[in-house]
Amino acid sequence: MNREQTASGAARSGGASSGTGPMMSRDRRALIEFLLDNLVWIMLAIVLAVFSIAIPNFFQIGIFANIVEQSTFVGVMAIGLAIVIIAGNMDLSVESIAALTAMVTGILFCARGIGLGITLTPEWLVLPVSLLLALVIGGIIGVLNGLLVVRLKMNAFIVTLASYIWVRGLVVAISGGRSAQDLAPSLRFMGIQTFAFIPLIAWLAIACFALFTFVMAKTPFGRHVTMIGGNPVAPFRAGIKVDRLVLITFVLAGAIAGVAGWLLAIRTSGATANLGVGMLFNAFAAVVIGGVSLKGGIGRLPGVYAGVLLLSSIHTAINLMGLPAHYTQMILGALVLAAVLIDTVKLQIRQTLA
Amino acid sequence: MKRLLSGVMGALAIAVVALATPAWAESKGKIYYLVPTLLDEFQTESVAAIEKFLKDVGYEPVTLNADNKTDLQQSQMNDVINLKPKAIVLAAVDFNALQPSIEKARAAGIPVMIFDRQITSTAVDFTSVAGTVEIGHVAAGEIQRLLKEKNGAVKGKVLQVLGDPADPYTLDIQKGFEERMKEFADVKIISLPAMQWEASNAGTIVADQLLANPDIDLIFVHAAHLAVAAVASMEAKGKKPGDVLLVSSNGAPVGLDLIRKGWEQVEVEQPLYAQAAAIGMFADKVANKQEIKPGKYQVLGLESELTIESWGPNLKIPGAAITKDNVDESRFWGNLKAPAEPVTPVE
Repeated sequence: MNREQTASGAARSGGASSGTGPMMSRDRRALIEFLLDNLVWIMLAIVLAVFSIAIPNFFQIGIFANIVEQSTFVGVMAIGLAIVIIAGNMDLSVESIAALTAMVTGILFCARGIGLGITLTPEWLVLPVSLLLALVIGGIIGVLNGLLVVRLKMNAFIVTLASYIWVRGLVVAISGGRSAQDLAPSLRFMGIQTFAFIPLIAWLAIACFALFTFVMAKTPFGRHVTMIGGNPVAPFRAGIKVDRLVLITFVLAGAIAGVAGWLLAIRTSGATANLGVGMLFNAFAAVVIGGVSLKGGIGRLPGVYAGVLLLSSIHTAINLMGLPAHYTQMILGALVLAAVLIDTVKLQIRQTLA
Repeated sequence: MKRLLSGVMGALAIAVVALATPAWAESKGKIYYLVPTLLDEFQTESVAAIEKFLKDVGYEPVTLNADNKTDLQQSQMNDVINLKPKAIVLAAVDFNALQPSIEKARAAGIPVMIFDRQITSTAVDFTSVAGTVEIGHVAAGEIQRLLKEKNGAVKGKVLQVLGDPADPYTLDIQKGFEERMKEFADVKIISLPAMQWEASNAGTIVADQLLANPDIDLIFVHAAHLAVAAVASMEAKGKKPGDVLLVSSNGAPVGLDLIRKGWEQVEVEQPLYAQAAAIGMFADKVANKQEIKPGKYQVLGLESELTIESWGPNLKIPGAAITKDNVDESRFWGNLKAPAEPVTPVE
């Protein structure tokens, strides 16, 4: 991690200070830097172009809107996951947290199945109340994870793996394995109404990406979190409250995963005990494909969103081609490997540029 | 210290007595039910039903959940064999992978009853099934009827949303469905699996296919909880109930609600309560290793046929098509009104 960050940083500072390399003009170097920084977006553009040409019925606004909509849940989940990873930790509990908040939303605000059909006056209050509830539930589990990691110095992988298991168990326990459906119309409209062909829930996901991209890139919090992921000792010596920031990243990951679950309940008009199963691995794949280093300290959220869109595009292409779903898994695995390989190549190119 | 020691010894003695004493004096012994998962409503309700019917006939039921993991269920089988219960009721995660465990149990003198998920590759002591292939047959018959009503003939486009492609349950339904639809060349079937039986995956498939194939006449999903997500996607695309026909299988409560709301036309029910009742009815015969005779049996009012197959006694209970005309009948497990009357053992 340190080596990579240093190399990357050196490449950037080298480009800025010296202005010219022995073999390369400033413009050419800038172009290469730009391409490296946005590689995943370029890959996405190529993939979409190829699919549009090769797959019947792919090239239409509805399919592109579907891809954006399908990216909503994994995308939102991946935001929190990416922040924790950039901070040098790991959070395996996001999928189960999403399932829990989806189930709680379903139980409270669905009219059928195990839903209690709670209504509020005025009716629109259901929207902020359920969202707040999802944020709070996710945040509480995030606090638990964070405290165990920060205060007791337990390994984040193990702590969040345990949460992944017990939170999913809690979903089964509170639902009794049953499902809730027929979500309150004041929530469902978020999944049905569209703006510019895209459902409101997908706009919410885009807004989340925009917000946290700003937070990570333009605020001291984001810069400090990235620094901590690169090398926690240096920020600590510089007076940055490392433990507090790490705790906040876990709380954020939990709360954002809570939102992902809330969105999932809206999309499926309820919740089942197995809702969201398998999304953790897609979120991880998106984070890695998006250029976030699993070692921490490196990564940008727009890249993660591009990674999510790339995965959704592939899923959609496979759906339209009628290929057996096993191919999705194979392609996904190959894509993650390719992303890591490309990351390594990027590092080497940057070292050369430096 | 002495007081502490005597306290500990006393507690231990109580624990030993409690463990050695059966839960209730009249119990004929323990029967373990190995349920594949508790993440779907059919399995959850099967636990309640099997436990109820086994208690009716005097056994002490114990349920173990395999969380859809074959290796975990194999370990559970090995553990249970060591506990020497009166019998094991198995709903296998993987039909083939459990074969050695079944053979091991029977070699140890523990009878094995198969519930719901049929295993034909090895001998078992009793099987109570609706028949997953037959569910596909029933669905095919209903889908033929619906297409004929809509298009004047059995023709059109059907989107079949399977469950997880690694689950033989969904593959059997697909097999049964497609073998009955084969003769109708004018029906185009698009089949796609919802990985891990996850509802939003089914919703995604439906959303994509409604755009790529806007002329889809009917969607057939292999579980009712997938139908909920399918309906959510249809609704998001501006569809109204009945615009695209919907058929589902397993008879879960959510499916019945969709019929009531007009989104779904047919739910092919697995007769869960009857399947579970049969386990209770034949438990004595199986546990005591008595002969089970072929013939017709009334199971909760359903005429069921018991045949002696190469793998053992096989009771097949007919599945039913649920429509808006009969959706409220209490015999359907999706209405969650388990029969209150106790079952009686088969003589």
